[in-house]
Parts: sequence; C-alpha cells; structure tokens
Amino acid sequence: MTLTETRPTKAPRFGRSSRRSATLVVGCVLAGLIALLALVSLVWLPYATDDTSGGRLTGPGGGHLLGTDKLGRDLFTQLMTGSRIAFEAGLGSVAVAAALGITLGVLAAFAQGWLDDTLSAFLDILIAFPTLLLAMLIVAARSATLGSAVLAIGLAQSAVVARLVRVLVKRVLTQDYITAARTSGTSWPRTVLGHVLPNIWPTLVVNLALQFGLAVLAEAGLSYLGLGAPPPNASWGRMLQEAQATFTTAPAGALAPGVLLVLLVIGVNLIADGLRETLDPATRRRRA
Amino acid sequence: MNAKKTSLYGTATVATLALTLTACGGSGSGGSASGGSYDKNATVNIGSLYEPQNLDNTAGGGQGVTEALNGNVYEGLFKLTDDGKVEKLLAQDYKVSGEGLTYTFTLRDGVKFHSGKQLTSADVKYSLEKVIADDSQSARKSNLEVVKDIATPDTRTVKVTLSQKSISFVYNLSYVWIINSQAKSLKTTEDGTGPYTLDKWTRGSALSLDRFPGYWGNAASNKQVVFHYYKDATALNNALLTNAVDVVTSEQSPDALDQFKSNQNYKVNDGNSTTKLLLAFNDKAKPFTDVKVRQAVSAAIDDKKLLESIWGGYGKPIGSMVPPSDPWYEDLTKVNAYDPARAKKLLAEAGYAKGFAFTLDTPNYDPHPTTATFIKSQLAKVGITVTINTITPDEWYTKVYKNHDFTATLQEHVNDRDLVWYGNPDFYWGYDDKQVTQWVKEAEEASTTAEQTALLKKVNEKTAKDAASDWLYLYPQIVVAGSKLSGYPLNGLNSQFYAYDIKKG
Repeated sequence: MTLTETRPTKAPRFGRSSRRSATLVVGCVLAGLIALLALVSLVWLPYATDDTSGGRLTGPGGGHLLGTDKLGRDLFTQLMTGSRIAFEAGLGSVAVAAALGITLGVLAAFAQGWLDDTLSAFLDILIAFPTLLLAMLIVAARSATLGSAVLAIGLAQSAVVARLVRVLVKRVLTQDYITAARTSGTSWPRTVLGHVLPNIWPTLVVNLALQFGLAVLAEAGLSYLGLGAPPPNASWGRMLQEAQATFTTAPAGALAPGVLLVLLVIGVNLIADGLRETLDPATRRRRA
Repeated sequence: MNAKKTSLYGTATVATLALTLTACGGSGSGGSASGGSYDKNATVNIGSLYEPQNLDNTAGGGQGVTEALNGNVYEGLFKLTDDGKVEKLLAQDYKVSGEGLTYTFTLRDGVKFHSGKQLTSADVKYSLEKVIADDSQSARKSNLEVVKDIATPDTRTVKVTLSQKSISFVYNLSYVWIINSQAKSLKTTEDGTGPYTLDKWTRGSALSLDRFPGYWGNAASNKQVVFHYYKDATALNNALLTNAVDVVTSEQSPDALDQFKSNQNYKVNDGNSTTKLLLAFNDKAKPFTDVKVRQAVSAAIDDKKLLESIWGGYGKPIGSMVPPSDPWYEDLTKVNAYDPARAKKLLAEAGYAKGFAFTLDTPNYDPHPTTATFIKSQLAKVGITVTINTITPDEWYTKVYKNHDFTATLQEHVNDRDLVWYGNPDFYWGYDDKQVTQWVKEAEEASTTAEQTALLKKVNEKTAKDAASDWLYLYPQIVVAGSKLSGYPLNGLNSQFYAYDIKKG
C-alpha cells in the first residue's frame, strides 16, 4: 500500500519508456558493431584470407591483432569474414523462414476441417524434427555449403513462424474490420495483404528478430560439425572447432569467435525485446 | 575431429570398413625408462580414444579391439615386435618346403586357453579359416586368400598349402588370432591364450583385463590393465592430468603436450608411426592422368610447412608411401620436392600454363579441413583453383573408395607395408602402371626377402617419381605416460598396445 501511494505517478512512464529505448539502443549498438565488421570485411581485410605467412599460433600482438591460427592465418581477418557469414546465415535463414512460414501460416489459418488439422500436424512434426538432422539430410543431398545450412535452418524455422502466423491470422480474421472489408467487396488476397498482414506484423517482426539470433547460433553449430560453410570460409563455428584443440596454448582463437557470437545473439535479442515493446500496441497499453 | 591412426579411413566410426583392406604395422617390445622396483600387483590404467565396436577382430571390432586384445588376450603363431620384426610366438618352429608353397608349423607345447583347454592344431586350423571365411572382415583376409589347404597331421602340427608363393605369409599370420575352436559369442567374450583374461567390458567406458595365472610364458608384470575410453582428446588429457589414467596410447594434437612436457611427473615419448597423410589423386581422372600435373601439384605444396602447422615440431616429412620402418624404405623426400617455379614449368609443359580447377573431397574431421585449406592457398600461387568439398567418412567410403567418383581427396593411410596397393590398378586411386603391378606381384612371389626388398624399392622409386599420390607427411606417434610407468610400447606402429611389460613404480 505505502509503496503504491508513495510512487510518483508519472515517473514509471518515463522510466519505462527510457528503459525501452535503452534495450533497443544497446541491442542496436551490439549488433551494429558486428554488422560494421561484416560490412568492412566486404571492402577491406587486414590480411588476405589465404595468407599463411604468419607464424603458427602466434599470440595477440605484433602485426596480428588477435594472433594467428595453426596455418599462420590472421585470426582477426577470419573473425571479420566470420561476422559476414553470420549475417548471411541469419538473414538468409530468416528470409527462407519468413517466406515459407507466412505462406504456410496464412494457408493454415484459412484452411478448414481436415486440411487445418493436417497442416497443424505437419507443422508440429516439422517443429519437433531436429534442425541438425534436417541439416544433415540436406547436406547429404546437396553437399556442405552455406546455402545448404541456410536452407536447413530456414526450413526448420519456417514451421515456428508458420504456427505463429496461423494463430495470429485466425485471431485477426474474427475482427469486425475484416468482416467490414469483406462485405464491402474486397477480395481475400487484398484483405490479407491490406488488413491481415499489417495487423500481425508487429508480433511477427519480433519473432523474426529472435529467429535471426537462433539462426546465427544454428549456423555456428553446423559449421562446428563441418556441415556449414566449407573451408576455407572462416565461419565462427568452424573457428571454434579449429581452436578447440589449441585452447590451452592459444585461447584467443576460441574466445574471440565465442564472444562475438554471444554479443551478436544478445544484440538481436535485445533488439527483438525493444521492438516488441515499441511496436506492439497491446503490450504498450497493458504496461502503461 | 582427431587425426588418428585408426585406419585407412581415419575415424573410429568407420574402423569396420578399414578392416576390409588395411594392414597394420609392428609394435611390441616395451620401451621408456628402465624400471627399478615395481609393484607386481599394480593396476595399470590406459587412456584411449578407441573403444572396440565388438571383441571379434574378424567381425569389424575396429582398431580398439586390436589395441586392447591383440597380444594381451589373444596371440598369433607369430608376433610383430615394436620395430616391425616378426617373431615366433605360438609357433615353436616352422619349415617351408622347397618351392615355397607348403608351410609346416610346430605348435608350442603346454599352451592353454583361458577356458583351460589345451591348444591343438585344430584350433589353429579353425582360427585361420575364420579369417578367410566369406563373412570375415579381417584386415588380412585378402592377403591370406592364397591359403589353399590346411591339414592337421597331429595335434601339434599344422600344414598349410598355398596356391602361390607368398613371402609375406608369415608376417600376415601375425595378425591371425588363435582362438579356441569351441568358443562361442566372441563378440562379447573371449577365449585366447594371452597373458591376460578379459575381466569386464563396460560399454561406453572401460574394458579391464586380469593377469592369467595359467599363462605359458612369463607372467605379466602387472595384475590388472584397464582401458578407459574417452570421446575426445581434451577429456583424455584431463584424465591423465588428474591421474585417472597412467598412460595415453596416442596423442592427437601437439598443443596439449606442453602441459606434460613442463611437468616432471610425465614423460612424453615421440615414437615412430606408419600413418601417412595423402593427397590422393584419381590417376584415372583428368587432369591427374598426366604425370606432369601430379608432379606439379606435389612440387607446389610445401609439405614441411604443413607438417609444422599441424604437428608443431613433431612428425616427419615423407617422400613416398613407405615409412622408415618398412624394409624397403628409402629417403625420397627430394623427389618432387617443394619448388613452385618447377611446378609452374611442369604445368606449362602439360598445357595448363593458366592453371586449372579441381574439387578436393575432404573428410570432415581433423586434420583434413585444415590441410585442404593449406593446399588451396598453396596451389592458388601456381594458378590452380581448389574447391573444397567436405564429406563424411561414410560418403568417403562410398563416393571415393567404392565408386572412384572423385578427382582428388585427402586420406590418412595407417598401415606399414601398404605400398603394394599401387600394384592394384583397381584400387581407389587408380594408379595403373603395368611395370609396377608386375614388380609387386613378383615381390610377393620372391624367394628371399632381399629379392622382395629390391623389387619393392623399385616400386617405391617409380611411384614416387610418377607422383602417384602426394605423400604430405608421416604422423608422429606420441605416447604420454606418468614418469613412474615403464615398459609400455612406444611405436604403436598400428593399433597394438602390448600391456604385459608395463611396470608401475
């Protein structure tokens, strides 16, 4: 009682909104820094990716910011190309997941009776199917490339997206404005594009941001197992795998990609959180 | 993930496959520091990465079963010593008939199986037939198919007739375990004549052996041996650091060794191995059909730098398929040695002045991906573009080994005396040279080892000159043990690990 009474009425609102932006800002800074590394890697790298002129496992310092790997390649160069691969994997997977997931989800939402049941069951199975196993199957069929990894991760994630979209669309379809649009003669495709998707967008985009983080982790996992981008592409997962045996003598090789991986995933998760609070009017209203 | 001396195929997962075509090297006499007083009733804990698939070496037991049971639980008519020599074991004596086709073996007297049964010639016949049976997955099956007839005139005599002369016959016999002909369920139990009996095998963790009181020879110098199995090298090294194991049979990375080298409680032994890392060309696929292209690629890769990168200061450069422990070894590292200028010249002569591109099928475990990366960067300097295609060991077996559907690949070849595969035009690398095939055949039918050695030296030189494959380096064999331990094998030229001489101070 005393607490509620003494609390200033306006302060929480300011506090909350500034916290909201703080989440978003910190997230953007973290992910932005790594995005910057990735962008710079497109035009400039400290060393060529196949330059093996450095010594074996030289520590940080000298001409090499983070030292070199077994073959004498610069670790910072690999880290930069690795961040590019992380973004390619994240964006690629999310694109696949979004395209497939939204289509499937909308279809499932409109489906009736047995078709609805079948689609739901299919999505549940796809969700339960381990990403790793799916990836192995795809890699076996297409050989290990970044594309195969992206396809596998995107496929696995599309099920999650589809299930969410199905629920959201079903909810929106019961709204009066949909009935209004339909009675005014708007076709279903136009209704979906003009009324349904814009209304589920806030929740969807937050989910896609979270999926991005998961995709980056999944790609690192696949590369660690040798199922991702083939060598000499310096994926963070591959760097971790290669540095594992030399961790006691040259820890930088494992620490650097590990730390960046954590930072990127935390970054996009913070962005997702920030977006959720800013975009979703329901949350905003409830909290305020 | 580890470079291992598993098999032709590398990882333990496909060790079964390896058995179909690989042979193994010699190992044997104990090494290390001389032990003064020691505990006769000690338990020796051995750390290994290679758990057996089952306990039968003719049923795909893998390299783990050789490591744990060969020489310890099971014995052959002959044994291989640490420097690769063949010695009589259960055979007390043997005679070869004039034309070299009939071998008469006299068995050692008073040898008992662990079940208590006396060793007889019928057991030897049974054991040999088991290895060459249709369903046998033994590494020596194809070598022993020259056996035409096995007769047992009396309980201590075995007479083997061959369909053609085979100078390696006695050597090959050292891989044939003599098993009680009445023994059942050999995949999970044993009945051999060795100095240890199987105590218990806990799948996924350990296999323990107890000293056999009724052993015919000198009793083992320890009471019990326990093989502890680990999934990865880091866990194995940690086990050694915490004294959970006394010795690690073979280290797979040089970087963990510093912690043992700087510690007086441990001894790091650098022995000899027979495992070679190969860049194997498909000699029947363009452009590697051209000798000059193969020579150019070999000359364009700095093997010494690769070895240094992967193994630090360990391992040896190698110029051919023959490791120093084989009798027909010659130092051929100067043949097609690192010389980028010559590589470019050879490429131009072969009509590839502007280089070419090829796909390198790369197994997905160490050291292959790192090696492929290195090769790609080296070959780029002479204008050759390498596309690295990562494949699993199973894919390697089907795509490369069985279907010969590849241009070039990376693979480790574990065995000693495996030069002879270049005499088989149907082998996966497709090296087809009539002269070499003839020499290999003649060498096997030679009457003296001197003759055999001379012929195989010719094969060695010819294949090296032709760059039949590019032999990148010879692995080191590193055994790390507590400094109180002595008598353990140092060379482990194949997966053997004789434990009976190990003394714990």
